[in-house]
Amino acid sequence: MHALFNALFYYLWIAPHVLLAVILVLIVHRKLHRQFPMFFLYTALEILQFGVLFRMWVSDPHFGGGYERLFSAGMTVSSALRFGVIYEVFGQLLADYPALKESGKTFFRGVTVLLLLTGVAVSFFIPGKSVDLLMFATNTLDRTVSLLQCGLLLSVFIVSRHFALSLRGHAFGIALGLGTYASVQMATSAVLLGVGSTSSRFPNFITMAAYHCCVLIWICYLAVPERAATRTLDTLPEHNLDIWNRELQHLLQR
Amino acid sequence: MIITTILVFVALLALSCLLWLAKAHASTSGALKNPAEHLRAVDIEAFRNLVDPDEEEFLRTNLPPADFRKIQRERLRAAVDYVSCAAENAAILVRLADAARRSSDPVTAEAAEKLVNNAIRLRLYALHAIPRLYLGMILPGSRISPARIAESYEQMTRQVVLLGCLQYPTRGVSAAL
Repeated sequence: MHALFNALFYYLWIAPHVLLAVILVLIVHRKLHRQFPMFFLYTALEILQFGVLFRMWVSDPHFGGGYERLFSAGMTVSSALRFGVIYEVFGQLLADYPALKESGKTFFRGVTVLLLLTGVAVSFFIPGKSVDLLMFATNTLDRTVSLLQCGLLLSVFIVSRHFALSLRGHAFGIALGLGTYASVQMATSAVLLGVGSTSSRFPNFITMAAYHCCVLIWICYLAVPERAATRTLDTLPEHNLDIWNRELQHLLQR
Repeated sequence: MIITTILVFVALLALSCLLWLAKAHASTSGALKNPAEHLRAVDIEAFRNLVDPDEEEFLRTNLPPADFRKIQRERLRAAVDYVSCAAENAAILVRLADAARRSSDPVTAEAAEKLVNNAIRLRLYALHAIPRLYLGMILPGSRISPARIAESYEQMTRQVVLLGCLQYPTRGVSAAL
């Protein structure tokens, strides 16, 4: 059983980062780094961070404070870059719709402030418990950041749905993957803070599995070219046009 | 432990909402395949009449206060339905015009671009107007003038006609949409 857990742990740690390397190649190959520079930077840094941490882990399985400090620092940088990625996705969404640019930005800022206040309030009133100050701070930051990111990504989808905007394939995939990961991370960081243990295996496995799913979603969307160009008005079926005529006549009545 | 459970529940709820919204977003092409099923007729004059301050004033002076409040609530409820309907139509038109924006004909593409912007503007106005109409239902005496919605809707429908003529000059509006 222990060996099975170990194998699962290594798989969930290594596999997403191998897939991230594939994503990095796809980004460069499809020249998406011009469209998503933050996502490109985030992917590259995640791989670099994994490389350094994995090397430390292999060289000394009974890792000390150095590993934890590096892990916390890496997580902080990753979290900051993920905000950049979300902003990038939101920017992509609004870029095609000038009428919504100003209102969209105001809405995005408003939601960010609201979520930040909620996150700070949750951290203040529900501090959690942990023996290790660094890991306590890391998990608290994790919970606040995931709450913010989850809320922001939800708002991206809500805006997109309300205004019937077409979120292009790649941006859609990035948002979906990140949103899935952020919501699971919010749950697991809350459990870790509630339990007061940083080494609890189950929540960590869940987070790692969610990240794996997130990377799989990214790879699925980035591997295929965007479909938007195939949807044109000329493809509308002929037999619907008479019904449309009646609808428009009603619509244009005064 | 209760708070942790609540946070986990909130996270799972957020995940469910996210997946539902993503699924809904992915399936929006359904409206393009069969728009007539989704598009509803909106009588702009009836709407204007419902939110006309003169009409409201006339009712206020000619009806007992209790009857006026009752009727005014009914009128505003109907106005909300009209705005919602127009906003739903606008959403469908956004999708249709979005596809037309990729037209190889620059005139059609430009008309589609204008239509998208106006439809979005209408949805923005609707977002502001509906709470105001509801407020008017709670306080039937308060002044409401969502005239900009009527103007925007008229402008949008004009652009639908223009887009139709540009897309299929020989067939008219019906063929375009």
